[in-house]
Amino acid sequence: MKTSRDFFQVVVLHQRWLTGDVFEISFERPAGFTFIPGQKVCLAIHDISRQYTLVNPPDAADLTICVRHVESGSFTPLLVQAKAGETFTLSAASGFFTYQSIKRKAVFVATGTGIAPFLAFIRSGVRDFCCLHGAFDESGLLYRDEVAEAAGVYIPCLSAPESDGRFWSGRVTTYLEQHLAKDSYDFYLCGNGNMVRDTIRIIDLGFPDSRVFMETFF
Amino acid sequence: MKIYTGTGDRGKTSLFSGERIKKNDDRIEAYGAVDELNALIGVVVALLPSGPEMETVGMQLTRIQSDLFRAGGWLATTTESPSMAYLQSIDQADSRWLEEQVDYMQSKLPELTVFILPGGHPSAAWAHVARTVCRRAERRIVSLLEQSTLADDGANSLLTYVNRLSDYLFVLARYCNHLAGIDEQVWQS
Repeated sequence: MKTSRDFFQVVVLHQRWLTGDVFEISFERPAGFTFIPGQKVCLAIHDISRQYTLVNPPDAADLTICVRHVESGSFTPLLVQAKAGETFTLSAASGFFTYQSIKRKAVFVATGTGIAPFLAFIRSGVRDFCCLHGAFDESGLLYRDEVAEAAGVYIPCLSAPESDGRFWSGRVTTYLEQHLAKDSYDFYLCGNGNMVRDTIRIIDLGFPDSRVFMETFF
Repeated sequence: MKIYTGTGDRGKTSLFSGERIKKNDDRIEAYGAVDELNALIGVVVALLPSGPEMETVGMQLTRIQSDLFRAGGWLATTTESPSMAYLQSIDQADSRWLEEQVDYMQSKLPELTVFILPGGHPSAAWAHVARTVCRRAERRIVSLLEQSTLADDGANSLLTYVNRLSDYLFVLARYCNHLAGIDEQVWQS
């Protein structure tokens, strides 16, 4: 079994911009590379590395990650500038934030690029979940249509001060605390550390006997 | 990425299988004791006398630390959880391996016919401390087994392992003193 200590040389195939600062970048899948949806890889070039979650289903022909461009950062500009044919170093997939078939209803809570592992779940066939999808504004609801179609319940939550009323106005944590029916769930959390911490607090107080799986992105 | 998350600030923590439980839960006590044992073995490694025999012991202890990581992961997972599929539980082969190391070290030591006081070379003294924590971990696992919250086969294998490990640590302490040229302190009743 491959471990995270195993590495591959991967070639850039193409990029696709999703918003003004979020893009996908795809790599040619190396022979022998396997992964479970939700797992992450370590991508490296020029002695700089970062971890990203693959958004592909397990049988995909290429390997794609979703990246937020940080102009002042040291790594994402390298991805922005990467050309087709350029080579990066990729680790074997690792991590335990994977979908666990269970009897309780699944609730996905995602902010920003934290939607990535859920996209991998969806593309591997996961359906009938509740998704609380947080963003500042509508443009930040990455992969909205794909997620909404797969979900049983899809709740976009926009934290921008001004709202046109089409989406729920407020943070995912507020919706969770005030509107999600009190029951036992399997929660999957992925996004920034503050959201994960605050969501855990709400789950501990209001949703006893639930299970929680979490991945902090930033 | 920050190591602190804040998700445990109110006294609860997550099992590997996802359940949120109180930090004073018996399961947390059990794998907490295993974690403590692992840390103490690290101390022993750091204090081993020099020499080729101790290099071999160092590698053994590193393997034991890895075994204890596996044990901790298993204790942190409820039996019916799909997360179990990620884990490699401790099995009887791991215990037999400990027995082989014990037998080897004992073959190099004078027969013990009296009680000895824990102590001597720092590595030996800390091996005794690790032994006592190993016994505490064993007691915690027994408690969990009585509550029927652990899978019987896995729990029995783990109990065998920690029981054998305490023997290993006792013999290791004697072995460390022997190689360091330090006489054992006999208990005077």
